[in-house]
Amino acid sequence: MNILLMLIPVSLLLVLASIAAFVWAVRSDQFEDLDTPALDVLVGDRPAAERPGVD
Amino acid sequence: MTDCKHCGESLAADARGAFCCDGCAAAAEWIRSADLAAYYDLRSQPAPRVQSQLQDLAIWDRTELLAEHAHPIPGGREITLLSDGMRCAACAWLIDRALAREPGVIECSANAVTGRIRLAWDPTHAPLSRILGALIRLGYRPFLASGATQEVERRRTRQRTLIRLGVAALGSMQAMMFAEALYLDVNQTMDLATRDFFRWITLLVSTPVVFYAGWPFLLGAWTELRARRVGMDVLIAGSSLLAWGASSIETLRGGPHVWFDAAVMFVFLLLAARMLEQRARAIGHARIDALARARPAFVQREGSDGSSQAIPLAELQAGDVVRVAAGEVLPADGCLLDTIAQLDETLLTGESRAVERLSGAAVYAGSICRNQPIRVRVDQIGSATRLSQIAQLVERAQSQRPPIARLADRVASYFVAALLLAGIVVACVWSVIDPARALQITLATLVISCPCALALAIPAAISSAHSALAQAGVLALSEHALERLAQITDVVFDKTGTLTESRPVLGRVQTFGGIESAKALNIASALEQGGSHPLAQAFAGTPSTHAASERRLIAGVGVEGLIDGRYWRLGRADFATAGADDGALWLGNGKDATARFEWSESLRRDCATTIAALRARGLAIHLASGDAPARVASVAQRLGIKTSRARQSAEDKLALVRGLQSQGRVVLMVGDGINDAPVLAGADVSVSFAEGAALAHRASDLLLTGASLNGLDAAINIARRTRRVIRQNLGWAIAYNLTALPLAACGLVEPWLAALGMAGSSLLVTLNSLRLLRQPQRSAADEAPAPLVLEHT
Repeated sequence: MNILLMLIPVSLLLVLASIAAFVWAVRSDQFEDLDTPALDVLVGDRPAAERPGVD
Repeated sequence: MTDCKHCGESLAADARGAFCCDGCAAAAEWIRSADLAAYYDLRSQPAPRVQSQLQDLAIWDRTELLAEHAHPIPGGREITLLSDGMRCAACAWLIDRALAREPGVIECSANAVTGRIRLAWDPTHAPLSRILGALIRLGYRPFLASGATQEVERRRTRQRTLIRLGVAALGSMQAMMFAEALYLDVNQTMDLATRDFFRWITLLVSTPVVFYAGWPFLLGAWTELRARRVGMDVLIAGSSLLAWGASSIETLRGGPHVWFDAAVMFVFLLLAARMLEQRARAIGHARIDALARARPAFVQREGSDGSSQAIPLAELQAGDVVRVAAGEVLPADGCLLDTIAQLDETLLTGESRAVERLSGAAVYAGSICRNQPIRVRVDQIGSATRLSQIAQLVERAQSQRPPIARLADRVASYFVAALLLAGIVVACVWSVIDPARALQITLATLVISCPCALALAIPAAISSAHSALAQAGVLALSEHALERLAQITDVVFDKTGTLTESRPVLGRVQTFGGIESAKALNIASALEQGGSHPLAQAFAGTPSTHAASERRLIAGVGVEGLIDGRYWRLGRADFATAGADDGALWLGNGKDATARFEWSESLRRDCATTIAALRARGLAIHLASGDAPARVASVAQRLGIKTSRARQSAEDKLALVRGLQSQGRVVLMVGDGINDAPVLAGADVSVSFAEGAALAHRASDLLLTGASLNGLDAAINIARRTRRVIRQNLGWAIAYNLTALPLAACGLVEPWLAALGMAGSSLLVTLNSLRLLRQPQRSAADEAPAPLVLEHT
């Protein structure tokens, strides 16, 4: 049972880490818009040199 | 090809090319040349129509405006704008890409859900007006959001809610895991030290969930208690604190049982349900937010030299003279400088008929100037205006909820009181029967029968219905719109601009007395300049070189005015030329005819299918129009409408509606245009087009944002489905509570199961409401044939 003494603190650290990651994600606006980024991956940006007619 | 390739509006029969107007063509050309044509594949809704006339954008560069609305960031400034044109994620994508390419833009993020655009730019590199010019070219009009500080506050609140939910989710997951270890120890073989170690760890994990994530409930409970009221939050906070506190004591003294898992699960699931509800409501609100702009952002101030200049409303001062164009809203209280003005004071008095004000009379902010432009000397501004005082009253009224929701609140709060009493009784009885289980059973009773589902049943359904409506292109402006829409039995349509396209097309021009047709057109166009009647739109394509003075609109008949000192009338034959009305538009001086304009109008593309669909729903359809009998009959016949009336004044239409109402029918009025306002106000529910006269919006309960009637059928469907969902929700919530309470009181339910059952019931109600968000099946209107064109000669 002594293994618990290590495993439980480890699990607590993991929870803390995931909460920190979540807070960071929210603070950096990752949840502001859930629809538009889905479109971004469908259409990649071409390199600027290839774009015609952009001023 | 019958639709504009850009905005999807149906094209006039004689349109050249694939676009409805130059604006759309230019936008499409720009999108193509900027290599963003993928937009057309990504979008799920057609683009907004591009307005070709240019706005005065110089206003956006003013330092006062920037100081109030744009806050400095490293390297530039940031502003949050509202736009009413964003309809799906592809719009946001297009705006992001298009603006990011403008020189001077640091960052741009558009959000289609909230209708907001966050724009960071470098003012030394490019003025804001140039960047917004690009936005307008694409058909998205920018409006000022409520101010920088409120915007930042709004985002921060949203983020805090999300973090609370995240903490609750992760924390309760972990607490459940530890609790599971304790539950699995069925034979009590775990040694006491390990058991207590687990308990202490669970206490550690569940404390932030109860107190940080559950803070909104604790705060709500405190507010309710201070107001000497027992509501939902008291019960939620009470139960979770009871479970957590009792468990902590048990942990301390090494008692037989802990219920941390019940406490955390309760908090997490309720938080999730509440967040879903708030989100659904926020979507609906965002759309309305972007459209509800009762006061103008900018006003035309007259300088001492007689020139006029656009300035932000905030800059207006008492003593200034402002010019208000016909159809526009007065920006401030003041005193009329012109000899006579026709004002619509619906917003202030509820009287929808225009009132006449003479020179020197007091006029009020929020009234709408009709017929001719006026000049006003400003006396009171901002919060000192009568409108602001009324607005505060309205805000208070609007924070009240629909009658049915209020009823549910009251029932729920009695229920909570009864429940607390029941809890005490259960506790007393069980402490006699079996003191060891008393606490556990009381807890289960309180938790399982929390009437959260009952409280959620109506708001959740109503808020999802609102966002479903917004998706269908319908905005509900009044709180009882949905309730009444579900009950309607009759629909009364206006014709011009409602069943037919709002832009009639000018046909053959005949002239009399040797005048050239170009000259006649020029004069007619000057008379119709800035007019908001649908027929005026026919002349929008022929710019005029003349300017009409003393223009006056006579509703339902025509328009009169002076051009180069000569008196002109344009309208029905009996008005303009003293001849017999033949349905065409005549130009004359009241006696002699100068020209005759033929015009055609096309039925809205989906109008036949919409009317068929409404009839299939068992609704009686009526047509009441101010137009000539022949035209009305032809439209009625094409659409299969049996009861049609022609040459109806606003009073006639109102009488028709009142007559139907007196027979116990519930009437929906669909209208557009200036002379509809009283009828829209008189009907049980009213619908108008967002592109129609601003006046009609004030009186209507629902607004169709698209150019098609399609949304109408969808809205009725949504209203009826909402009514059904509300009944299901209420039925479920009541049945659940009535079954669960006795079971728990008899000691048959463990606290963790109670938490699961209660939260599951709330989630079920929320999910049932979210069903309303599912897109109704696409109607046959999408494959409708080419528009029917009605020739009027």
